[in-house]
Amino acid sequence: MIVTRSWLNEFIDLSGVSDEKLYETFNAIGLEVDSMEKIEIDPKVVVGKILSCEKHPDADKLNVCKIDVGSGIRQIVCGAANVVDAEYVAVATIGTVLPGDFEIKHAKLRGVESEGMVCASSELGLPETGKGIMILDESIGELEIGKPFGAYPCIADTIIELELTANRGDCLSIYGVARDLSAALNIEMKPFEYKQEERMKLGIARKMDLHTSGEMDADLRYKLATLQHVHSSFLIKLRLAMVKAEADNPLAEILAYATHTTGVILRMYDCASFCSPEEEKVVVSVEAHAEGIIHVHANGKHISIVGVSQSEESKPTVNSREVLIEASYIHPDLLAEAVVNEKIETDDLYYKTSRGSNSDLGFGLGYLAYLMEHNTEVECYEGSMDVEVEREHEKVLVDADEISDIVGMEIELSKIAVVLQKLGFDVTAMNDHQLATKVPLFRHDIKNIQDIAEEIVRIVGINNIPSKPLVFSEKKRLNETSSRYSAKKDLRNRAVGVGFYENISYVFSEKEVLERYGFETTDEALALANPIAEELNTLRSTLLVNMLQAIKRNVSYSKKSIPLFEIGAVFDAERTQTEKIGFVFAGQAERESVTNAGKPPVIDFASFVGKLGGVIGHFDLVPCTFENGLIHPYQSADIVIDGKVCGFVSKLHPSVQEHYDIPVTFIAEIDFDVLMPKHINAKPISKFQGVYKDLSVVIDKNIRYYEVAKVLNGLDLPLLKESYPVDIYTDEKLGENKSLTIRFFIQSMEKTLEESDIEHVMDAIMRALQENFGAELR
Amino acid sequence: MENLEVKIVQADSLEALEKVRIELFGKKGLLAAEFAKMKDIPGPEKKAFAQGLNEKKAALQQAFDARYEVLKAEAVEEMLKAEELDVSLYGTLAQKGALHPVMETMDKIIDYFVALNFSVETGGMIEDDFHNFEALNLPKYHPARDMQDTFYFKDGGLLRTHTSPVQIRTMLKEKPPIRMIAPGTVFRRDYDVTHTPMFHQVEGLVVDEKGKVSFANLKAILTDFLQYMFGDVDVRFRPSFFPFTEPSAEVDISCIFCGGEGCRVCSHTGWIEILGCGIVDPNVFKAVDYEDVSGYAFGLGVERIAMLMHQIPDLRSLFEGDIRLLEQFR
Repeated sequence: MIVTRSWLNEFIDLSGVSDEKLYETFNAIGLEVDSMEKIEIDPKVVVGKILSCEKHPDADKLNVCKIDVGSGIRQIVCGAANVVDAEYVAVATIGTVLPGDFEIKHAKLRGVESEGMVCASSELGLPETGKGIMILDESIGELEIGKPFGAYPCIADTIIELELTANRGDCLSIYGVARDLSAALNIEMKPFEYKQEERMKLGIARKMDLHTSGEMDADLRYKLATLQHVHSSFLIKLRLAMVKAEADNPLAEILAYATHTTGVILRMYDCASFCSPEEEKVVVSVEAHAEGIIHVHANGKHISIVGVSQSEESKPTVNSREVLIEASYIHPDLLAEAVVNEKIETDDLYYKTSRGSNSDLGFGLGYLAYLMEHNTEVECYEGSMDVEVEREHEKVLVDADEISDIVGMEIELSKIAVVLQKLGFDVTAMNDHQLATKVPLFRHDIKNIQDIAEEIVRIVGINNIPSKPLVFSEKKRLNETSSRYSAKKDLRNRAVGVGFYENISYVFSEKEVLERYGFETTDEALALANPIAEELNTLRSTLLVNMLQAIKRNVSYSKKSIPLFEIGAVFDAERTQTEKIGFVFAGQAERESVTNAGKPPVIDFASFVGKLGGVIGHFDLVPCTFENGLIHPYQSADIVIDGKVCGFVSKLHPSVQEHYDIPVTFIAEIDFDVLMPKHINAKPISKFQGVYKDLSVVIDKNIRYYEVAKVLNGLDLPLLKESYPVDIYTDEKLGENKSLTIRFFIQSMEKTLEESDIEHVMDAIMRALQENFGAELR
Repeated sequence: MENLEVKIVQADSLEALEKVRIELFGKKGLLAAEFAKMKDIPGPEKKAFAQGLNEKKAALQQAFDARYEVLKAEAVEEMLKAEELDVSLYGTLAQKGALHPVMETMDKIIDYFVALNFSVETGGMIEDDFHNFEALNLPKYHPARDMQDTFYFKDGGLLRTHTSPVQIRTMLKEKPPIRMIAPGTVFRRDYDVTHTPMFHQVEGLVVDEKGKVSFANLKAILTDFLQYMFGDVDVRFRPSFFPFTEPSAEVDISCIFCGGEGCRVCSHTGWIEILGCGIVDPNVFKAVDYEDVSGYAFGLGVERIAMLMHQIPDLRSLFEGDIRLLEQFR
């Protein structure tokens, strides 16, 4: 919503209020100032009167004017075509500096002396009012020759753009904003008084019939008028340009101006569009179609839906001679709900009606009539044809104590009463602490005591409310979510400690890409209905695809080592949300340095798995059971924690690596739930020395270590504390076999080991390996 | 005997000194030979001879010990020197990664409220119309729904546009008093320089008996919170509108870049908009069947705060895993 200072001044005297004060006040009462621009015009730009205007002898498009600028008569050459229609104009005299540091000097144009410039609005820093120069008229005030143009308050105006919140439809007009200011600044509103001269004594009933059918939700008021010489004033054009509401013909300009001023929804219909000259009467029929949806027909032709739209043919033009004028009000909630439900197309005015327009139809029509009378030859039929709806005003009982509780400071009832009255409420005192209030229709957003409290807070001044800490009952508020959160934080810090960067990617992915790599996607019936882009058209079921994108970007930023992790939500086909942690590591395993002569090793399975362990702690690796297109079939594993498969680790499939054009990459994705910290009880520690023993056996090449480990872990040998592989060896001599060296740690809780104890353990191990794998001692 | 001391002093290595030691103090050494002469010395002179010899031995031992200390120190120094490194070559080898500034900011926010004994609550990202809109006093036709361009699913589900549904779910699950924050990921269908389709919010809610929770309480906690986050800033409240709170306010801090003088970041106003808040609307309590309660709520955008705190210029870069940005936070 854009307002101007001088326009507001029509309804509230702002002469004692500085621009700074206005700015502060608007922000303080919740009408946030988006921008504020003060128009400043060099005092050497003055009102001039064109005494004569002749064609330039040597240039078709130029005119030579003699202009009285108060201090004398100047000869000025003017290039604008419309100068021939002008009498009063704004003249930049010699020495004027225009915006852009453009100084007006004596000049010779095609051999003719020119002492100044006739100005177009944009040349003075004003918004553009139309083609050519400004043709001034008395709408800006009495035109005094030689008077600085900027001395007119409506010219050197302040333009203020307000960002209105969705509930403040009442401030979608100059009048509404003035009313809010009146309460905030404690300045009385200037009454708008206008007595329409009824020049035509013919009553409207002679010329018009009005029929209604169905349950009426809208207030409507119709007038009929005949027009001649329609034109709108310079001020109307200028102000509409200032508030960015320009219209394309004088009638539309007048309508737009009246609506912007009063907030009343006004429409005009060209009678010729529905009523042939032979027809004697304009017959308007108003039909309620559904709750909130009211269609208007004139002489059988559909001309509008109240508050929503108007048929193109019925809009008046410069040639319209007889017009039907309509003012309307409909409750915004009713209308908005109906329009959404019935999916009806809407026009520009709907923005105002859906947010709450001014229900004072008399004011709107009166203001329009006042404008028309000043700008056109208009004759109105006497009286109007009305549809009126009985409306219940919202009533709120206001208790001063309750308001004080909500706000947190003592507010007197009398203060509340004054504020509400200024805001247009009907207020009656019930007793010394309560008021009965009737909410005006234009504040349809106010329904209860807290809405009233908001009004009080706005006007009393939110910054005048003290800060008071809340005393709150003590209670343990650590819950499962807090534990999960702190576990996550630990995990993230560990990941950072081993060199990973935390990544955040969108929860969206590209369906086609997920499918290509064999990941699930949301079922069609549950799919995203309005994705924002093709590459974000479904919910991700893996973190990894988006993380590969991040690798690709980093490669393009010349990064050679790209370790990323992400904890985030993924969704299965049924859209069930779970949380995963993903790791990717691409390129160099470490930084280039003197220790690796500038040629660091590329990340490999062992070092990637080592880094994972540094983050998520102990896990076992068994052959991979996961299936997707990212997995390398021969360098991949299930991650097993506490006997449960909870994710996978793999080298990125070389074809995917090639597709993304990235260096060697390792990936892992793990269910976050299994990483929650577990309770651990300590085991007793032996006081006796233990021994390490190595055993080298020859076994089938295809036996995987996890199979060996399974057998070893299954042995009932209390002295065997630990076993792990330390060497693997193959050569031609071994053929289809390999040599595997395992290291064992043997220790007793009760005594120092004797050689025979150790032998007993090692024999049992060897036996088990022989039985299960046909292993032979090497 | 006189040149013996010279021999000790002239020994230039521990090995040479060891040779001297054997020559002098060894079983077949010079001193032993001298002491052997004792048996040929007549009785009365024996004592004087022995005394002289002992003094000589002590002097030699002292000279030897002193020389040994010197040579030993030299040897250690040499050994150390052999291990010398240009340590300045290795300062850049650190392998630490970095937390994401948005997540780290979220942590900082959560830490504050947990310290004040707020519980932490979460909810799913996929919501329904009731929890995301209706229960929050945002009926279908409400114009404020325009402010929240929503991602919908074909079955009518939606991606939550704010973390407020967590408030509703918590209130439906628990009885007042409530004191909670809900950090989380939210979605709006918007993508340009200042909007991403996904971002993060932290929402707060406090509910207690009717008449107990006031706007003044909200001012107290948010002023303290913003000064914890941004240091010594001024905090300003401006009336605003949110469907789920009434009265509502937007909260600004004095511009941290220009100190309130006016600059490009604050659009020359001296203030930066930072969060929204208000007293919970009675319709919200009605939707969850709470009676005779009062409460406040607030919500803030984590990305915005992180960008301000760390002077990050580009919102979209936060979602690209850009190591050039992340490595600055190591």
